Amino acid sequence: MTGVAKAAGRKYAIWIVAEQAGGKLAPVSLEILGQALRMAREAGACDVAAVLAGKDAGGLAEELALSGADKVFLADDPRLSPYQNDTHGAVLTRLIAREDPDVVLFGASACGEELAPTVAARLDTGLGAHCTDLDLSAGGLLRMGVLGFGGRVHTEMFCPAKRPQMASVKPGMFPPAPRGERKGTVVREDVASLLEGERIRLRAVKIVREEPEGVPLEGAEVVVAGGFGIGGKEPWTLLEELARELSGAVGCTRPALDEGWTSGDHTMIGTSGRTVRPKVYLGFGISGSPHHTVGIKDAGVIVSVNSDPRAPAFDSSDYCVVSDFRRIVPALIREIRKVKGDGLRDP
Amino acid sequence: MAELKFTQQQEMLRKAVREFVEKDVKPVAARLDVESRFPMDIFVKMGKLGFAGVFVPPQYGGAGLGMTERAIILEELGRHAAGLAMALMTHHLGVDAVLSYGTEEQKKKYLPDLASGRKISGLAVTEPTGGSDVAGQLATAVRDNGNWVINGRKCFITNSSNAEVNVITARTGEDAKGRPAFSAFIVENAVEGFSPGREEDKVGLRGSSTGDLLMNGCKVGDASLLGGEGNGMKMALSLFTKIGRTGMAAIGLGIIRACLEDGVKFARERVLYGKPLSKLQAIQFEIARIRIDYEAARLLTYNAVGLKEGGAGADAEIAAAKYFATEGAVRAAKRTMDLMGGYGVINEYPVGRYMRDALTTISCGGTSHIMQIIVAGQTLN
Amino acid sequence: MSGFHIVVLVKPVPDPGWYDRVEIDPATGALARQGMPSVLNPSDRHALEEALALQERFGGRVTLVSMTPESSAETLREALAMGGDEAVVLSDRAFGGSDSLATSRVLAAGIAKVAPFDLVLAGNESADGGTVHVPSQVGELLGVAHLVNVIRLEVDADGSVRARTRIENGYVEVEGALPMVLGVRREINTPRYTSLMGVIASQGKPIRVLGAEDLGVDRSGVGMEGSNMRPGKLSRPGYRRKGERVKGDPEETVARIVGILRAEGVLG
Repeated sequence: MTGVAKAAGRKYAIWIVAEQAGGKLAPVSLEILGQALRMAREAGACDVAAVLAGKDAGGLAEELALSGADKVFLADDPRLSPYQNDTHGAVLTRLIAREDPDVVLFGASACGEELAPTVAARLDTGLGAHCTDLDLSAGGLLRMGVLGFGGRVHTEMFCPAKRPQMASVKPGMFPPAPRGERKGTVVREDVASLLEGERIRLRAVKIVREEPEGVPLEGAEVVVAGGFGIGGKEPWTLLEELARELSGAVGCTRPALDEGWTSGDHTMIGTSGRTVRPKVYLGFGISGSPHHTVGIKDAGVIVSVNSDPRAPAFDSSDYCVVSDFRRIVPALIREIRKVKGDGLRDP
Repeated sequence: MAELKFTQQQEMLRKAVREFVEKDVKPVAARLDVESRFPMDIFVKMGKLGFAGVFVPPQYGGAGLGMTERAIILEELGRHAAGLAMALMTHHLGVDAVLSYGTEEQKKKYLPDLASGRKISGLAVTEPTGGSDVAGQLATAVRDNGNWVINGRKCFITNSSNAEVNVITARTGEDAKGRPAFSAFIVENAVEGFSPGREEDKVGLRGSSTGDLLMNGCKVGDASLLGGEGNGMKMALSLFTKIGRTGMAAIGLGIIRACLEDGVKFARERVLYGKPLSKLQAIQFEIARIRIDYEAARLLTYNAVGLKEGGAGADAEIAAAKYFATEGAVRAAKRTMDLMGGYGVINEYPVGRYMRDALTTISCGGTSHIMQIIVAGQTLN
Repeated sequence: MSGFHIVVLVKPVPDPGWYDRVEIDPATGALARQGMPSVLNPSDRHALEEALALQERFGGRVTLVSMTPESSAETLREALAMGGDEAVVLSDRAFGGSDSLATSRVLAAGIAKVAPFDLVLAGNESADGGTVHVPSQVGELLGVAHLVNVIRLEVDADGSVRARTRIENGYVEVEGALPMVLGVRREINTPRYTSLMGVIASQGKPIRVLGAEDLGVDRSGVGMEGSNMRPGKLSRPGYRRKGERVKGDPEETVARIVGILRAEGVLG
């Protein structure tokens, strides 16, 4: 990438800000690392580094180093756990100011979507929010794709002048970086000096983790999703039963979530919710607004059932069934049970 | 010649009411109809938002607004839950009875609770002898040692099971010409000898309770006499016009709007012969007629309300508005039901309820026949 | 203690109910938003509700601050009908085209104008843009502690704060002290309905309009000139698939779906 060679004679650098969550790397960290590596490969002559701030995070830094990062800047200190925007903000800002990367990517997790704008404000640089697609031009300009208006409008965003160009990335949009053989360098930073002079005004006292009910959407091979057309909490149980029969996860659209039919907002699939990549997605009573559709765009096979023949969902489905879901789901459950039960007896 | 135009405050008010109705009332409207249940919890919420005492002055705990704002509220409520609108409408009858005819003590005693929706009210005039024949009431109130003893039976009374503060008319004597004279009394439901009777199972407007009120040796003090002895008939007729008929017109208007909005939605979405129903002229004509009825009912209703607020008698205008809006609601419901075809007769869709509610409004606050008599009377005399 | 001065950042946005009617003008490539009614950003109602609840408890003032074209100022009156003592509208041609940091600079200047303040509350994100940037960036610019994703807030009369913020599958309890800037999620509360009395009261509440001059902002830091981010092409995302109709009665349909499940290896 000759156009990218910096005047200062330094190699183009893409950073990803990794996140420690419950003793592991947050899944989105490996996703943004994967995308950073892909962009670097395409562009050529480009370094990829990871930054990890946390406590007892040496093993996670190794994992990043083994997943393709050329370098991992590790800020390992009890003061950095739990995450706080002032401590992590200070560390990150100082590291970026010192090393001058060209691009910094954050996962748009709950922490990331707070940390990224904090750092962007401190550095007075640009930040694309909840990006769904990214690429790097030959000249080193990052093209960030963001969705607005409930997923209906896609806008390309650029940070033409300021550096680094920063973006927070929607979890689930990119495949994660795979573990490999080659190991990058882990650099342990002096956290005390990175925190020096910073007024720490917050105190994260306690983290409470609540294991959500049901099969998680991430990694589920089958997703059974329902929308506003389901009509009530009672008919919703049909979808839960179907998901159980298929060992699948239950998902929903925003309207169904707002009605309170599901077990929580971790089940919502869409622009402001989860992105899923199951082998099979079965959608019932979903009209197919872009808000939801963007969350399933990379699913294997999409089957939609809706009583309205003009539901937009049908345009984004592989198979379309024009029917009331009540006519399909109970019969489908029965047939699936038969298939599972007869499996052994089939000649 | 100014167009019918609401003030900015009235528009804001309509928006606020609509938001409440769409979030809290619309989702339960079908269930209230099926269960024929008056939702006390929603009424309390409406009270807190100021609906129950919309025209009561702030010194008595009301919002201090007028009849136009009241009509806006009833139209918005009627659009999604005409039965509940009916309950509120009737509550206002009792509220205005106290506000317009009560002594300062009576106002101070009852209005705060009624304006806030903590207590519900109603106006009981109709008896088995007929609602249209007001002079045929048989209930009596007799003086007895500084008290009044009321005996009789009222029927088709809305809010019968829920009202704690009832305004009841009874015969208290004869006038100078020997005709029966009536007086109004405030009777709280805790009074001995008073009880709501059986509740009716109505065809429509099922979000409000309607039934009998039984007075068996019901003893109330002199302080319960409302508006002076012998003024009961005049009061009742005045309230029917000012509060009852205007309210029914607004509710009818709400139902017409419901039929229009649902009809338009259906016509746009339903595909027949490869294109939306709305492309067919026959359907367009139906929609046009509903729209025309809506516009006319809207103008009649708000103009009549405005006239009355301005001090005019407006008896004919109000009767015309009630007649047109409620009959218009029946027409609109039939048109929407017909254009929806098979879907129109499935209870999953609300249009069947709109039809039943519309039909029921005809006999509330004065039947269509009575409305025509009023208009004719005013026109010919 | 005479109560707190709470600033609530509010924003009129195009009505989310109309989003599926948003079009891109083929000639200009810009958004065609004509005729789309404006509503108060849904998240902001929750921020306002939280402020009003604190005002009920401690007394004090609630000021609404919004960066929006003057033509949208009346949407602020709807917010005032819900509650709040006055509204300040920050409006100037110079503010047009601001990215989130430039917007935050304008808002910070507006907040400084109504200072002193104890707490700034904002909805986490706006329905149209949804960046979640503004609360954090306003906090940084004002030099006070800040948090987003707040789902529960406890404030003591002495100004100590305990906030609960949502994270994936759980929450974090954070302690701090006023002054702070907090971005709240919708699950934090249920906003009160607007009462008739509120509508009447709103008519008399002041709505002030302040421009760049009044705020004394550095024009190089606001608007398009002050934005580090630049928008490029707009498009409608399309996720088209083959859309094959499955015909037949429910029995045949079910058999077809089962076939698909088997073919993909998730059944039998």
